[in-house]
Amino acid sequence: MPETRSFRLGVAGPVGTGKSSLIATVCRELAGELRLGVITNDIYTDEDARLLRSAGVLDPERIRAVETGACPHTAIRDDVTPNLIAVEDLERDFAPLDVVLVESGGDNLTATFSPALVDAQIFVLDVAGGGDVARKGGPGIARADLLIVNKTDLAPYVGVDVEQMVKDAEHARDGKPVIALSRTDPASVALLTEWVRSMAHAVRAGDHTPVDPGPMAPHSHVGEDGELITHTHAHTH
Amino acid sequence: MGNAELVAMMLADGRLPTGGHTQSGGLEPAVRAGLGADGKQLADVAAYARDRLRTTTRVEAAVAVLTRHIATSSHLSGTKLSPGDENVPKNGPRLSERAATLGPVEAAWAARTPSHVVRGVSRRQGRLLLRLARRVWPDVSAYLPNDGEIARPVVLGVVGAVTGLSAEQVARTIAYDDAQTVISASLKLLPVDPADAATWLAGLHDDIEWLVKDVAPLTRIDEIPADGAPLIDVFAHNHAIERMRLFHA
Ligand SMILES: Nc1nc2c(ncn2[C@@H]2O[C@H](COP(=O)(O)OP(=O)(O)OP(=O)(O)O)[C@@H](O)[C@H]2O)c(=O)[nH]1
Ligand SMILES: [Mg+2]
Repeated sequence: MPETRSFRLGVAGPVGTGKSSLIATVCRELAGELRLGVITNDIYTDEDARLLRSAGVLDPERIRAVETGACPHTAIRDDVTPNLIAVEDLERDFAPLDVVLVESGGDNLTATFSPALVDAQIFVLDVAGGGDVARKGGPGIARADLLIVNKTDLAPYVGVDVEQMVKDAEHARDGKPVIALSRTDPASVALLTEWVRSMAHAVRAGDHTPVDPGPMAPHSHVGEDGELITHTHAHTH
Repeated sequence: MGNAELVAMMLADGRLPTGGHTQSGGLEPAVRAGLGADGKQLADVAAYARDRLRTTTRVEAAVAVLTRHIATSSHLSGTKLSPGDENVPKNGPRLSERAATLGPVEAAWAARTPSHVVRGVSRRQGRLLLRLARRVWPDVSAYLPNDGEIARPVVLGVVGAVTGLSAEQVARTIAYDDAQTVISASLKLLPVDPADAATWLAGLHDDIEWLVKDVAPLTRIDEIPADGAPLIDVFAHNHAIERMRLFHA
């Protein structure tokens, strides 16, 4: 990997699940040990970038916004060129960077990053979106490198059983990691930062091959209790 | 070298991954400045696209035509470059010399594009097209660097030269793309029925063909028209500092 090439980490997931907050957390925790940059893809261009700049966790110049023409899905998947150029320019202007985080505009469950843009990706759900979401599946839930079940501190207020939600997610993911996260829970934040750290290490060492979560077709089977389950996941059965 | 007609279709297809989805052809700031009267005057969109075809787009199309002409008539496009040695052709001039022949046409374009914001947008879009073109049509590397901010019509003119497009096809691609950029952006910015949008585009065909007829025969840089639309430039400058925007330009 050339000296100026960073570990490019995508962060996707539905609107408001906490993508920007997660990036702010990663920056706050890791800015001391890793050289970071951020690209945002908000619907109205500047919002996420402004939020992150005002969080004061990173030099504001290292946070850049890319317009998506109201097509967040296209920007991370079908036509990644504007994002790719933004990442490369950031890597050039602040060389060498260790990690560039790319935040997708909040989209739906089908939006995942093209492996042409990122080396690995995090998919962010939150408990407030309902305990069923993880079971519904989709390419991001099933096959992102890391799935976050966010805002676990809110679980009691929205009637969600976090443990069950994580179990559903793990089932849909065939063993890939799931982290139940809350920014108010330092232990969960430590799990997240450790994952980023080790993934950055693996990518830098050439030990990681980008996996495309892909637009996998959902399929159905009958669960143990006789209920029809429709979901998307990686393993065969 | 592919079938020229198909290459022209690819270049005109918004799904070609060159960042087209980030562009509104200046429609977003125009709407913000009152075009379409909050959805009460939707025909403004077609009129705006037509105004561009008669002014700024005419310049862009002429620049693409001249670029194609220069690149084609320098009798270099057939020179095959050896793989892995892309900047040093076995025979014929070096890349820098070939690129230098395109310098005057880029300069003529810049002189006719007074807004630095508009120039910046075109060069950024040119860079996106160039990055794709060097993968899909590697012969462009004989004329252009692998990466760089070069006016989009210049990049498109080079693609036209190495793929065998006619001057008409190059001009039509620029004109159609600009009109379609404006019309399809209107679907995101105003309460437009998509079938109406397609009807507007069809209604612009005569304007597109007039433009093609006017600029396709040009062979001298000083024949490139210098039509401008100062209000479009003013809108572009407003947009560059606008926070809440969907489109890059
Ligand atoms: N209670 C709680 N709220 C959180 C947590 N993380 C984020 N939030 C809140 O969730 C809301 C949305 O967070 P963002 O980080 O803006 O979410 P996002 O996914 O970036 O949103 P979009 O970019 O608009 O899709 C904000 O009000 C955050 O403060 C958390 O761990 N716990
Ligand atoms: Mg956000």
